[in-house]
Amino acid sequence: MDFKTISFVILAIILAPLAGGLLAGIDRRLTAWFQGRFGPPILQPFYDVIKLLGKEPQVVNYWQIFCVHIYLIASILCVALFAMQADLLMIFFVMTIGAVFMVVGALAVPSPYSQLGAQRELIQMLTYEPLLIIVFVGIYFVTDSFKIADILAYDRPIFLALPLLYLVLTFALTIKLRKSPFDISASHHAHQELVRGVLTEYSGPYLAILEIAHWYDIVLILAICSLFWSTSWIGLVILLAVTYMAEIIIDNVTPRMTWKWMLTYVWAVGISLSFFNMALLYAKSF
Amino acid sequence: MLAPQLIGISIALPFIAAVLCLINVKPLRSALVIGTGVVVSVASLALVQSGAISFTPESFLGINPDGLIAILDFALLFVILGIAYRMKNKLIAVLTLLQIVPLAFLELFMNPGENMGPAIYVDQFSMIMCMVISIVGSLICVYGLAYMKEHEHHLKLATSRQGRFFFFMVLFLGAMNGLVFSNNLLWLYFFWEVTTFCSFMLIKHDDTEIAVKNATRALWMNMLGGVAFVLALVIFRSQGLPLSLQEIITAEPASKLILLPVGLLCFAGFTKAAQLPFQSWLCGAMVAPTPISALLHSSTMVKAGVYLVIRLAPAFAGTVFSNYVALFGAVTFLGAAVLALSQSNGKKILAYSTISNLGMIVACAGINTPAAMAAAVLLIVFHAISKALMFLCVGTIEQHIGSRDIEDMRGLINVMPRTTMVAVIGIVTMFLPPFGALLSKWMAVEASAHLPLVVLMLAVGSALTMVFWGRWLGLLMTSVVPDKAPLAESQPCLIRLPLLALAVAAVLISFVAPGLYSSMVLPVLERFYDTDLYIAARGVISNNIGMFALYPVFVVMTLGVIYAVRASSSKRLIKRGNYVTPYVCGLQDPGDSRKLGFKGPLGVWADFKTTNWYMESLIGESRITGWINLVAIGILIILLAGVF
Repeated sequence: MDFKTISFVILAIILAPLAGGLLAGIDRRLTAWFQGRFGPPILQPFYDVIKLLGKEPQVVNYWQIFCVHIYLIASILCVALFAMQADLLMIFFVMTIGAVFMVVGALAVPSPYSQLGAQRELIQMLTYEPLLIIVFVGIYFVTDSFKIADILAYDRPIFLALPLLYLVLTFALTIKLRKSPFDISASHHAHQELVRGVLTEYSGPYLAILEIAHWYDIVLILAICSLFWSTSWIGLVILLAVTYMAEIIIDNVTPRMTWKWMLTYVWAVGISLSFFNMALLYAKSF
Repeated sequence: MLAPQLIGISIALPFIAAVLCLINVKPLRSALVIGTGVVVSVASLALVQSGAISFTPESFLGINPDGLIAILDFALLFVILGIAYRMKNKLIAVLTLLQIVPLAFLELFMNPGENMGPAIYVDQFSMIMCMVISIVGSLICVYGLAYMKEHEHHLKLATSRQGRFFFFMVLFLGAMNGLVFSNNLLWLYFFWEVTTFCSFMLIKHDDTEIAVKNATRALWMNMLGGVAFVLALVIFRSQGLPLSLQEIITAEPASKLILLPVGLLCFAGFTKAAQLPFQSWLCGAMVAPTPISALLHSSTMVKAGVYLVIRLAPAFAGTVFSNYVALFGAVTFLGAAVLALSQSNGKKILAYSTISNLGMIVACAGINTPAAMAAAVLLIVFHAISKALMFLCVGTIEQHIGSRDIEDMRGLINVMPRTTMVAVIGIVTMFLPPFGALLSKWMAVEASAHLPLVVLMLAVGSALTMVFWGRWLGLLMTSVVPDKAPLAESQPCLIRLPLLALAVAAVLISFVAPGLYSSMVLPVLERFYDTDLYIAARGVISNNIGMFALYPVFVVMTLGVIYAVRASSSKRLIKRGNYVTPYVCGLQDPGDSRKLGFKGPLGVWADFKTTNWYMESLIGESRITGWINLVAIGILIILLAGVF
């Protein structure tokens, strides 16, 4: 590894949570604006996490502590691997380590809320994982490679070839962001039937670690989105801004749905869109 | 020692030891099983030192080996015929006759030995198989020594039946070794039928009504494969081809003539590898004592099926048939994963997961690119280790808690901490990076990327896999920390040793996967493919379309686990007894806050109970098996039609 790659990796590891937290702050501000409220300061997510970090640890068993740490490390590793321009599919599989251990931590507590949330979280993962793999395969169709280095070397925006697959990717992004209509395992609004679902039993510093890992995850997914317009900075920023704006709007105009609806809807729509897009590519190649 | 001698030991020693096991004396039996295990394991390791080798043994104890095999073949078939007669099972009798008659015709009139070439052919692939069979298989047999003692103790038998049990267990290892070394298809067929027979006898070992029923099913399904096998041999000869595996693989590629018998051989492989719609025999095999399930599922039997399909893959490279094989395997992968999701019976989950993994291996053989073949061979190894480990864990757990239902394993970490930790290793090495099974899956998905339907099924199936392993992993931990440290778990030495050995192997061999690939898999692949091969350098496995940074992930995650263990066991943070109770909206017992439950309506105390959700109403086994079988049969018909 040369010096440039190492510095990229270090920068990514430092900047990713800052960007993720900032994004969460902006998200809250915009949401408040949509709802006619003033909203918290943009840096509120950082204040929250710092406060949580200072709290006295309280857990039901030590597996929770183990699992949040594994989640954090896996998420950091994913971002680092992305900065190293590694293999997309490999990064995806490393991401599942974190996701699985987050669920294991929730399952480790005999609490009805976290158990229920964990089951739902598993179904959420079941929903978005195949879609992400399909998106990566689509990228491979266009660029002939799963390696980010090769994908970046492709001279046209992939978005132009894979517009429908980008939509599929935003499904996964919505689920990962825990936004409506897919926030079934842990809603941002703690006033419903499963409290905070999969996150219920995580508290204090461990919840803070979870939050930081979540920021890494979001940045990673957005980084994958950015691959779709990697040829120009302006295109990239516009694409990401439009995407995130759309996420916030969808979050505000849709209700939470049931897991069954989510699974059937997302798979049906996602897989059909993917096949349309593939057909489009085949048609073009003739 | 020379390679031919080592090969001879690997095959003959288990046969001899098996016969001696029939002398039903405990110390002798233990010595035989452990001794044979050690010797064949060492022999399999020593064999790696030599390169690819092929030869024809001139005589075996002064007898012409071809003649010996032919005699034993007929003897075995007539024994099976006798069993069919005694059970009054017409189906098995017909299937046996359908093998005896063509085989006799072949032996007598078709000059089977023409242009034979070497009868034994050993390359790195055979060596890998031999190591898996000899080492993993032997560990299972050793585990069986302790397990069966406990098992028979429960059954309260007047006379021990372990002699018969270990006769077939050890014989199985010899037959499997013979199978992977044989180049002469008649030899291969003989060993093939021995494994069928052994598995029948092992499944019905307990002689309960259900055991006999399931064993019978296993027998007829595998005999169906046997019929296809013999038919393939007859067709090869009628086309004037020698009955040599290597000749067939290297024959003119994709000639239509050869595709029909190769298709039949693949069919035989599918029955043995319990691909859909033949999965029921392997699931039925669960009634047998756990060492048998472990043996059938991990290192032997089903691996013989995929071994044959992988061996034959170069013969059908680039054909439509190949694509159908890929599709067929992918359907099995997905279908079995769905079925696994609906199960709460631990052994059933393992069974369906085995079928699912075998489906992926078959799919890889169908994809037929060097990346896919690498995935297939590596998956055989890693699946064998982790699956054997999981079966042995479930067996140990079952003997302790009296249930194989995973819901009964909730919080097992406080009851059986040692076994549970080993089971955790088993589960994690099965489906998470950086371990070998996942590495193979990664290879398979990338290799299948040019087949949209196949990759879709692999993607969905792999997400399902993640769900059923993930929740099993989670519920093993579901517990509150007890006030007192739990009692240390006692484990007999013969149980602990195989468990530990397999757990260490699962992790260690994943770590040396790049080396294993370069030294053992690559030479095999280079014979048939010259482009797009994976290169393993400095712990990174890469080809032109992808790369897996194995060592970086391994190192970071290892450090991560060490850090997480330190963080979670830190005395500074939390003392025992300082743990809180789960959140129940403030409805907990005010007197004893450690009591799990909450005050329900009208102030009535309610213990809450959570279970995993198995979606019985949607994807219950009885509900969807029929449909899945229907789809699989459809694809199987198209697949076999694809040879014309």
